[in-house]
Amino acid sequence: MNNFLEEIKEAVINGHTSKVQDLTRAALDDGETPQTVLNKGLVPAMSIVGEKFQKGEFYISEMMISARAMYGGLNIVKPLLLNQKVESKGKAIVGSVKGDLHDIGKNLVCMMLEGGGYEVVDLGVNISPEQFVDAVKEHKPDFVMMSALLTTTMAFMGKTIKALSENGLREQVKIAVGGAPVTQKFADSIGADFFASDAGEAVTKANAILYSL
Amino acid sequence: MDMTPRERVITALRRGEPDQIPWMENDIEEALQEQIMGSNNFTPAQLCEKLGLSAFGAHFPMGQVADGQGLVTKETYQESYYHPNKLTFDFFPPWIAQMGSDPETGRTYIEKGLLISDEALKLFDEFLPDPNHPARYEKVAEWLKEYRGEYAVFARIRLGAASTIESMGLEEFSYAQVDNPELINKVCRRFAEWSAEVIDHLNEMDFDFFWANDDLAGNHGPFMSPKVFRELLLPNMRIAAERIKKPWIFHSDGNLFPIMEDLLSLGMTAVHPIQPGAMDLGKMKKEFGSRVGIVGNIDLDYTLTLGTEEEVETEVHERIQTAGPGGGYIVSSANSLTDYCKLENVLAMSRAIKKYGKYPLEG
Repeated sequence: MNNFLEEIKEAVINGHTSKVQDLTRAALDDGETPQTVLNKGLVPAMSIVGEKFQKGEFYISEMMISARAMYGGLNIVKPLLLNQKVESKGKAIVGSVKGDLHDIGKNLVCMMLEGGGYEVVDLGVNISPEQFVDAVKEHKPDFVMMSALLTTTMAFMGKTIKALSENGLREQVKIAVGGAPVTQKFADSIGADFFASDAGEAVTKANAILYSL
Repeated sequence: MDMTPRERVITALRRGEPDQIPWMENDIEEALQEQIMGSNNFTPAQLCEKLGLSAFGAHFPMGQVADGQGLVTKETYQESYYHPNKLTFDFFPPWIAQMGSDPETGRTYIEKGLLISDEALKLFDEFLPDPNHPARYEKVAEWLKEYRGEYAVFARIRLGAASTIESMGLEEFSYAQVDNPELINKVCRRFAEWSAEVIDHLNEMDFDFFWANDDLAGNHGPFMSPKVFRELLLPNMRIAAERIKKPWIFHSDGNLFPIMEDLLSLGMTAVHPIQPGAMDLGKMKKEFGSRVGIVGNIDLDYTLTLGTEEEVETEVHERIQTAGPGGGYIVSSANSLTDYCKLENVLAMSRAIKKYGKYPLEG
């Protein structure tokens, strides 16, 4: 068997979208299952991209270019996985909190989560506590991830957690918070389950929680 | 004899030791200005006097409803650029982008950058005002004469990087690095050439210095790799920077250390805001303080917005002890004074700078 999975990894890291598409098709033609392409090609590639970002070897643009390449492969294997009714690793709903119209960090978290094998529901920006509550009821996610860039809007993270508690949903989900002004101390003060300093860490910490369950 | 506020700023910008560490802000949101002054009708000098600021620029409500920079659309921008109806010292090009506005707060934001193809470059002609139109310069010259007093006054400009990133959108800007790098080059060059023409006019005016706002970094580092920065943005930013004939401050949020040497090659007098969540002030002072002035580092993520007055005082004291020795330091928030800063914390910052900022500094 050809070493397509290693080549897919390398092409994702280097951000070569069309190469990833070609290699994904070639791997499937060669007999690899869609799950294997995802879990041994695309997911580990984005994990390496996340590590490189954390180490300062990659910058946001490079992460976005790699994510686009990853989607090149993901968009091919996703319909096949759905046909086979393969369950995702976990489901996350992601949104920038009420009053916050910034989406770069939130979008990166969505990309890295999808690249990490998660099913992602991107709620968008300016999401009120009530909208988060409704989304949890509708999508039944494992994770609720909230992003904020302003100290004024950070307050809505706490309000969203409170709203989830009031609706009896708090214990059904793990809650993550992130964004430039957000700190571990703040996350602790509002009762979030975890804080991530960047999109890659959001995935590694979500993974750690899943594996510990 | 005591220095004037202007002398303090110029001395500190040139890495000298003034009699007192100055304080200045890149921007003070108008709603906060009103809170500080208890009215929307005051002069820049009155605001400086009240807080102990040594310089002013940006914009002021002057008896009108407080707002930010207003909704920037191509239909309205050129007219308001040529004939500003509020006191302003800003000379920014517009974002070439689809803008949105939050109905609750009135804050404007960029929904989508529009410069995403070679075809879209024609939008420059629709959006950019004529940099040689005399009206704005004439009006601002009158305001300078009327309001400057003994304070340093700055004009805010851009060198092209932030305009490029925002007008393409970060995602398209990223993809273009592999798909069409020449598009980034063309976009940045056009913005830089526009600013260069503006700068030629500003050099002849009575400004003391310029403040170039070019956000290009996040907490981890620049948005793009140093290589991309060096090849596609820096040479164009240099087109504008080389035209500057006054002291100037470079501003970008985020961690600038990975590209600091490249930035310094532009020849700025000082760097702002040394965001504490992203850059260490002690490292900045130690490694670069002999080559460039330092402005900023009072935290906006927690201290000024959520902290106590005591925490503000402690932080100001600590920053002055770190960056003040030998001069070359100007206190400032680590971005701007936003309308969500606590008023009492802004006043505590004012008191602490006066208390701890006198040279010779106490141990």
